[in-house]
Amino acid sequence: MKVLDIALKDMLRSFRSGFALVMMFVVPLLITGIIYSAFGGLRGDGGFDLPVTRVQVVNLDQPGPQFSFSFGQMLVGFLQDERLAELLQVTEAADEANARAAVDSQDAGVAVIIPPDFTTAALAPEGRASITLYQDPTLTLGPGIVKGIVSQFVDGFAGTRIASGVVADQLGQRGVAIDASLMQEVAMQYGAWAEALGRSRGEGAHPALDIQPPPSKTEPVSQGAGMMGPIMAGMVIFFAFFTGASTAETIIREDEVGTLARLFTTPTPRAVILGGKFAAGFITLIVQVVVLMLASAVIFRIRWGEPLSVALVALGLVVAAVGFGLFIMSFLKSTRQAGPVMGTVLTLSGMVGGLFTTGFQNLPAAYDTINLLTPHGWVLRGWKLVMAGGGVGDVLLPVLVTLGMGIIFFAVGALVFRRRFA
Amino acid sequence: MHKNFGDVYAVQGVSFDVQAGEIFSLLGPNGAGKSTIISMLACLLEPTQGDALVMGHSILREQMAVKAAIGVIPQDIALYEDLSARENLNFWGKMYGLRGAALRQRVDEVLGVIGLAERQKGRVGKFSGGMKRRLNVGIALLHKPQVIIMDEPTVGIDPQSRRNILDNVKELNQQGMTVLYTTHYMEEAQELSDNIAIMDQGKIIAHGAHDELVKIVGELDRIDLTINAEAGRVLERWQATEGVHQVSAENGQLTLLVDDSNVVLPRLFESASRAGVRITSVEIQEPNLEAVFLHLTGRALRD
Repeated sequence: MKVLDIALKDMLRSFRSGFALVMMFVVPLLITGIIYSAFGGLRGDGGFDLPVTRVQVVNLDQPGPQFSFSFGQMLVGFLQDERLAELLQVTEAADEANARAAVDSQDAGVAVIIPPDFTTAALAPEGRASITLYQDPTLTLGPGIVKGIVSQFVDGFAGTRIASGVVADQLGQRGVAIDASLMQEVAMQYGAWAEALGRSRGEGAHPALDIQPPPSKTEPVSQGAGMMGPIMAGMVIFFAFFTGASTAETIIREDEVGTLARLFTTPTPRAVILGGKFAAGFITLIVQVVVLMLASAVIFRIRWGEPLSVALVALGLVVAAVGFGLFIMSFLKSTRQAGPVMGTVLTLSGMVGGLFTTGFQNLPAAYDTINLLTPHGWVLRGWKLVMAGGGVGDVLLPVLVTLGMGIIFFAVGALVFRRRFA
Repeated sequence: MHKNFGDVYAVQGVSFDVQAGEIFSLLGPNGAGKSTIISMLACLLEPTQGDALVMGHSILREQMAVKAAIGVIPQDIALYEDLSARENLNFWGKMYGLRGAALRQRVDEVLGVIGLAERQKGRVGKFSGGMKRRLNVGIALLHKPQVIIMDEPTVGIDPQSRRNILDNVKELNQQGMTVLYTTHYMEEAQELSDNIAIMDQGKIIAHGAHDELVKIVGELDRIDLTINAEAGRVLERWQATEGVHQVSAENGQLTLLVDDSNVVLPRLFESASRAGVRITSVEIQEPNLEAVFLHLTGRALRD
């Protein structure tokens, strides 16, 4: 009972401290919010809301009578595909002058001008044709997207021409007559194959790769939160460790103001006093983690994952943060030392643990291994697995490691404090 | 009891009895070992050697029983400043095992005793020093301890708060509580105590009631003097003066124990004059605990 009394007293003091409240709840959300705002906010599914680019398309392509199709028209159709509707607002202009005028008057961001001989040049072995992109010089992102899409389309035609050339050479060597309809057939077949490939890659698959998820994995829970989820997880972990250290710091603070010695004069065993301090940190951290998760789920629409797995990872985080905080504080003599040491150790361990690089892609593989030298890295691994749809079986290892680390840190810290106050 | 901190012998073979219901003072200068003894009796420190019984309980083997029997008022204010007076009392009451209605009733009573009923909801951090002192005392009274241990509770406070605390001590004693009081103020020990142990350098050098202790210095008079030069210019001359038993110099003041001040004073003036020193103030005092300490240690009992 006294354990709870001490814990409640410490929590009451913590929650009355404006600084503690800001560090526990406001700062992690604020930092994530700044990143969130920097990218223009998230859509409902967690993706970024990029501005829609207005595009004027002029299709001057006039394939000869030998062709039953127009690559120019196919490009127009490609740009007008409904899947690009959130990125591009495409309208066809009557002629090139009108399209350029629309860009000049900033009624459009980009004009795409398809030349008259586009289809013919695409299929002729030595043919050349250029699509003109006329863009608003004040814009970068929208024209870049249009350029990427058009380039992807044109690359497909380059493949068509290569395929057609290879077929023509092969048939020519075998003495087979080549006519326009045959070349169209080759181009159509290659086009169908390239389109299927593009579609499957757009869905994250590749015909040359067989990616198999773990058996227990279900649909990725927070696919859209691919970026914001790990960033928020990094903030939750970092500030949870900060809270763990701050609650442990109250032992040193109470020692300095004499209330700890006074507690020792009451009929309360020292183990109960230390237990109360631990319980205060434990409960405070649970409140902090739950509030941050709920708040970020509402504000940033982050879906954290399957509840039981999330609870296990959160438990690992709380135990590791309390244990690590007690461990650090047990070696410090005063609160004057505690401030700078706590800041330095927590920042460095957070950096090594990968908490500040969650939004970066393509980091060296060795960095993932280095992360695991710290409890932070193991907790982060647990969160990433949960957010990727991992179940209890998947998060068990990181959870057990973080629990183990937390308990070892706590035991060492408790031992040092016990000797100090013996 | 003995207590060593490495090579430092803080308490050396101290032994004393305190009778139930009395006020017992440990009197001595800073560093005499008073607080170390208090810490051992409060089970904050373990003796290097020896044991003590508090209300029949060993401080080594029955610490919880000892702690339940005592109420410790620390020298420095030990309160949670971000909690209210009532929240402080509630918390400390729980640490002494009080719960529910009994706790509420006792908190109300103590708030009345220390005169903070009107300010019970105020944050302690906003209290005056005197109010904090009173709350500091009140916490130790919550569980109605049999023994109150007060470690220099009047250090650094204004005369009014000091008077208030001394009156509280007397009142608690009248209610039947045994009080163990430490101080380096001779007047406090003299005013409060039934028995006094005078300490110096970790040892009890005299022990008894006030009148008994004063008899140690016999009929000697104590003279406090200040001069307009360094003490060293007259120290040896005065030590050799007929009728002077002891001379000590501290903080620009000289203290002498003499047979008869009426006879010795003219000799001191003459001696000072020969040394080219002027005596700027003289105070003659009846034998008291200061004189006892001076007599026993050769040093004045000052801060």
